[in-house]
Amino acid sequence: MSRTDRGSSPEDPVFVTPGETPAAAAADLRIEGLRKSFGAEEVLRGIDLAVAPHEVVCLIGASGSGKSTLLRCVNLLERIDAGAIWLGGQLITGPGVDENLVRRHIGIVFQSFNLFPHMTVERNITLAPMKVLGLSRAEAAERATELLDRFGLAEKRSDYPDRLSGGQQQRVAIIRALAMRPRLMLLDEVTSALDPELVADVLDVIRELANGGMTMLIATHEMGFARDIASRVCFLADGQIVEQAPPGQLFTEPSDERTRRFLRRIVDAGRM
Amino acid sequence: MRQTTAAAVAALTLMAASAGLAGCASSTSSSTSSASSSAGTGASTSTGASAAACTFAGVQGELYTKGVLTVATDQPAYPPWFENNKPSNGQGYESAVAYAVAAQLGFKASQVKWAYEPFDSSYAPGLKKFDFDINEISYSAARAQVVTFSDSYYDVQQALVALKSSPIVTKHTPADLKTYVFGDQVGTTSLAFINSKIQPTQTPKVFETLNDVKQALQTKQIAALVTDTPTAQYISSSEIPGSVMVAQFPSTGEHYGLLFAKGNPLVGCVNKALATLRSNGTLSQLATKYLQIYTSVPTIQP
Amino acid sequence: MAEAQGLPDLSARRSRLLGSSDRRGLVLSIASTVVVLAAVLAVFLLAPGSRQVRHTFFNPTDMWRAFVGKPSAGYYSVGEALWLNIRMFVTAEILILILALVVAVVRQSTGPVLLPLRLVGTVYVDVARGVPLILIIFAIGFGVPALQIRGISSQSAAVYGVAALVFSYSAYVSEVYRAGLSSVHRSQAAAARSLGLSGWASMRHVVLPQAIRIIIPPLLNDFISLQKDTALVGLLGSIEANKAAELYSDTVFNYSSYTVAAILFLLLTIPLARFTDHLIARDQARRLAGARL
Repeated sequence: MSRTDRGSSPEDPVFVTPGETPAAAAADLRIEGLRKSFGAEEVLRGIDLAVAPHEVVCLIGASGSGKSTLLRCVNLLERIDAGAIWLGGQLITGPGVDENLVRRHIGIVFQSFNLFPHMTVERNITLAPMKVLGLSRAEAAERATELLDRFGLAEKRSDYPDRLSGGQQQRVAIIRALAMRPRLMLLDEVTSALDPELVADVLDVIRELANGGMTMLIATHEMGFARDIASRVCFLADGQIVEQAPPGQLFTEPSDERTRRFLRRIVDAGRM
Repeated sequence: MRQTTAAAVAALTLMAASAGLAGCASSTSSSTSSASSSAGTGASTSTGASAAACTFAGVQGELYTKGVLTVATDQPAYPPWFENNKPSNGQGYESAVAYAVAAQLGFKASQVKWAYEPFDSSYAPGLKKFDFDINEISYSAARAQVVTFSDSYYDVQQALVALKSSPIVTKHTPADLKTYVFGDQVGTTSLAFINSKIQPTQTPKVFETLNDVKQALQTKQIAALVTDTPTAQYISSSEIPGSVMVAQFPSTGEHYGLLFAKGNPLVGCVNKALATLRSNGTLSQLATKYLQIYTSVPTIQP
Repeated sequence: MAEAQGLPDLSARRSRLLGSSDRRGLVLSIASTVVVLAAVLAVFLLAPGSRQVRHTFFNPTDMWRAFVGKPSAGYYSVGEALWLNIRMFVTAEILILILALVVAVVRQSTGPVLLPLRLVGTVYVDVARGVPLILIIFAIGFGVPALQIRGISSQSAAVYGVAALVFSYSAYVSEVYRAGLSSVHRSQAAAARSLGLSGWASMRHVVLPQAIRIIIPPLLNDFISLQKDTALVGLLGSIEANKAAELYSDTVFNYSSYTVAAILFLLLTIPLARFTDHLIARDQARRLAGARL
């Protein structure tokens, strides 16, 4: 892969066949036999998962089941111990892969937003497009404006993250990831740290992305939202995908006992 | 109510303190050793000090520690003024002079104790921890306002030491001298001499200790070092191989004196002792023995 | 009223004498400060040796003479000598900030390629912090000339002094940088890398700017300390402010020249400290836009 390619654009020679529009350029993700340990503790014990282009897959499971670790492995923040990951048909976990290049095509949003506090909202969004994709300041600003308008945050562009509410910060984090025009979006419990009335705004954003055709892998506790938006829900326990099925099926007739127990606990906690 | 009382107390204390300051500050008189027995410069009028008062018994009242003559000097104590860095061995010009003065006052050698006093603090105000300080300290009128000096125990000339390979060895006309970088030790009068008499174009380097000056000479950071003739003689003959005492400069009337606390009456008896030692030839004998100034050290003009 | 609902009266207490509690607090603090200062001053002025000490340390005539200097009498101007200190610490600080950053970034790196450099960095920091600065000054200031290397061995004492200061201080400052770098939560670096920024770019745009903001107070501390340590270069023979003060003092047997040097250094330090406070406050204000905390 050339280091000078602009990535994530219709001209990208790697992921897109000529003529496709960006939304249609959403890539597919394939994970096989993924294993990851931290020291002596094996957190992921053989994950097999395929996400088709434009598909939205939700990961549910208890804390510590490995959802975050799985997402971090996909965008190469963690080095995997065994297995392989393909993005858009290309192996991204082999030797000789340029991680920086891969990460341009994968957007990830974290539970704790992780906006850059020393930069304005606009600068947060335009930093990577300018430094990584080589966009000019004007081009990057235009991209930022388009996204901020689309998600109703235009008047916050010159504010610092400290001045925004949690929900606003998370939406900016999503916008920041989108500014790179990724082929795949990973969302790691993005509403868990928010107050309930702010959650709805963020979920709306995600819903819109899904409707726009973005391939998404979402780790979430919001069961109602998962049922709404996912084409498939995967239940993780003890480092493995215990069960995966369309939400209608998984939530009403889970086939595995562990899934049943988990869902029962969720219902009891009033989260469903 | 408690808090307002506290504030009132504070205000009253403040007023009292200010009144106290105004009243007392102007009337403090210095109470270090009787300022009335005035400004002794190096002049040797031992006002009414009778022969009896300058005996061992007579001077006891003026001593730092009774029964003991406490003499101070710096560390390291350099040859030829001291030997082996041990002032108590009586060798070296200044050590010998100190013991000779002590003998004149009736002290046995065992009744002389040595103290360490860095030069920079020897003239600090307040009580001194010694009776007198002997440390190649030159008399000057400004200095004599702060401390009391004895009469001269050595008349000093400045001299030059350089490496044999240095051009200054052969080229040292007054005009030539202005072009060199000189070095000297802080606290000596050499810097004043260099700047007022030689007037070089480049700022001289001033080092904390004589050893640093010697080091600078050996590493060629300075062209020549300036110090008093006996020290120069010793350095060039015994300490720095490949060095030579180029010449000495004419006397400017400089002399070394013993340093006393301002107004210390002991200086009277010490001056008498020095006068005796000078007239009976002891001082010149010691100079010949330790300072090795024979004849003909060449003298050049600055 | 408030009491009726179980809460005590929350409005600010008013005192008959001094008004609201804010004002009372202010009066008390002013009064107590003045009292303490007056007491210290009283002790100083009422001591038996006070007059002599004031003459020895605070005599205006001597202070002026020392400030102006008179080379032919054996002493230089303290004010002029200060200029040498200023040039030395400005040069040194610039070099220190750069060298320390390089050392810190190298030591924080994780790639195997940089392992030898990391080892060198660790040894350097241990040695430079372990050896007293005064010894380093002597080693460089007397050692390098002794080597008689053409060109390098014939620099002025100030050059060697600056080299020694840079060698010593960069080690301390690199540790300050490292503290700053590790105090930036690694989620920041993760977020930056996730956007496709290279390790170097994420350091430069995301981690380092945050780290530096955090460590400005200790950096300033080290800078102020550096300003004072330029005095040690006087050991190599150069006439800097403290040496000039010493020359005056030894010539005339009066310490007021040291007071002049101290005042001059204070005049350098205090505006610098206030300016830095202002920078920090301005950055905070911009980020928080009026919030109190």
